[in-house]
Amino acid sequence: MNTRDSAPVYFDPYNVEIWSDPYAIYRRLREEAPVYYNDQHDFYACSRFEDVERGLMDKETFINGRGNVLEVIKANVQAPAGIFIMEDPPIHTAHRGALSRIFTPKNMSMLEPKIRDFCARSLDPLIDSGQLDFVADLGAKMPMRVIGMLLGIPDEDLESVRQSADAKIRTERGQPMVFAQETASGEDFADYINWREKHPSDDVMTQLLHAEFKDETGTMRKLTRGELLAMINMLATAGNETTNRLIGWTGKVLAEHPEQRREIAKNPGMIPAVIEEVLRFESPGPHAARYVTRDVEVQGVKIPKGSSVDFLIGAANRDHRRFVDGDRFDVKRQARPHLAFGYGIHACMGAALARIEGRIALEEVLKRFTDWEVDYDNAELSSATAVRGWETMPTFTGPGGRAARDARKAEKAASTRVEPTASVEGTWNVVVKSPAGPMPTTLLLERVNGELTGSQSGQGMTTPITDVKVDGNNIVWKNEVKQPMKMKLQFSGVINGSEMSGKVKAGFMGSFPFTGAKA
Amino acid sequence: MKVTFVQADGEERTIDNIAPGTPLMNAARDHGVAGILGDCGGSCACGTCHVHVAPEWQAAVGDADDVELAALDMVAHVQQANSRLCCQISAREELDGLRLIVVPAI
Repeated sequence: MNTRDSAPVYFDPYNVEIWSDPYAIYRRLREEAPVYYNDQHDFYACSRFEDVERGLMDKETFINGRGNVLEVIKANVQAPAGIFIMEDPPIHTAHRGALSRIFTPKNMSMLEPKIRDFCARSLDPLIDSGQLDFVADLGAKMPMRVIGMLLGIPDEDLESVRQSADAKIRTERGQPMVFAQETASGEDFADYINWREKHPSDDVMTQLLHAEFKDETGTMRKLTRGELLAMINMLATAGNETTNRLIGWTGKVLAEHPEQRREIAKNPGMIPAVIEEVLRFESPGPHAARYVTRDVEVQGVKIPKGSSVDFLIGAANRDHRRFVDGDRFDVKRQARPHLAFGYGIHACMGAALARIEGRIALEEVLKRFTDWEVDYDNAELSSATAVRGWETMPTFTGPGGRAARDARKAEKAASTRVEPTASVEGTWNVVVKSPAGPMPTTLLLERVNGELTGSQSGQGMTTPITDVKVDGNNIVWKNEVKQPMKMKLQFSGVINGSEMSGKVKAGFMGSFPFTGAKA
Repeated sequence: MKVTFVQADGEERTIDNIAPGTPLMNAARDHGVAGILGDCGGSCACGTCHVHVAPEWQAAVGDADDVELAALDMVAHVQQANSRLCCQISAREELDGLRLIVVPAI
């Protein structure tokens, strides 16, 4: 887009269009504005590897105590004690230490056979179906099961816990996350903790209930109920959401790099390196925000005390200064540590678990499926901005999947060979069935110098439509709307007399059905 | 100074000319020594730069302090008397020729 290239670079994580594919903007940020200031939302953003790495290490200048996402820092609220990703030393050290003794690589690897078994049970029924949704079938289920096993949450309660976790960080599209203190208090788990206290087991919850640790005053004590609830809630959220996104990205990226995928399928020993490359290439946690405690200068830019800085991990992980040809996915690239798990004292404590889950998921997928293609019509990006990834990642797999894909293409083609309609010109009432409810619009089609053109009104705005084509009974047109957000709508429908129906593709938000009737 | 890391696959990786004061985890990371992840960047918070110090070097290297011992709890199953997190060992002249056996966390 030439117009944008000449204008100063703009970035914010709430812009849906940028967030759907931020890498061109990231590249411009690294080159043109390595310390970028956004005056609309009042934050700085660092995008080069060296700055992000150094910033995340500098726990005196860039603190977590006001929050680790921009919305929380801006809301200026006190997080409940125990959410140590929003704490600083010394209490951070005490709380994290209490958990780290339980969350060890050793404990994680003991889970391996259970993780493998769970993957197998999810994937086996799909082998002949020709379809696999990396998120719905695997990512949304397995990590939740694992964190549930760790915490000792009964199976029947797992789904409600995951839904609560996802809803907590999901945002209205294009809007900052609303931080409500009660969402982080862990009350969801209170009943469960009470029950577990009376029925000890070998799970994390039981160990946490009894673990003694040295607090910030040097006193040996157990966790308070409030600290414990907050911690458990944080674990359940962190354990579900991020790994789910990693698995979705693994499915997508490998679908788009079939040669590398086939090589990996032949050499499963490459899988740990593949997971690292996916983490680098599509980091599920693409940014970490910090509050600035003192005036500081980065790349010659003065960042005043009291500012918020967003460290763009996703941008740093593609910095060519660190990774040769960083925008290329290459499972054989020289292994160099990335920042997908953060860096410094807040580095992801679940990194070992995430790596194991990612590796086993891919191993088990590749045992059953070596070929898959993304069903882009139905793949939907999550609206969350704290993490970045797919809400659904449906794929066609194997011969069955290819047949399903071809059948759908044939269906589309067949629908074009119906009787031609008399006239499409005129006014149509077109209703889009969006997830937010039916959205009525008025479509005006007219013929000017033999060319079809017109306009469409909705949401109190009228915009000209473009690329109108009628072929037999098929009609397509495009409409670039500004409300409720800027996006391109691509309508494609079939006309049947004075009615039409079809689908409208709304950017990466997905496709919605629409119907129309001649006014 | 020079340090040799013995990887889990048996390969010996010798890194030369390490500037004094450099944490050995960083030297290992920079040279891609397998099994040294250093996820936390040397904050003594993750246990992913665990090494066993060769017995003849143990006295010169010294013991882990309390904070490091707490971090070593994360890898307690492979912890030994000569366990150290190499982010907490800085390059210095008297350690020239040091041998460290890498103990991968995962």
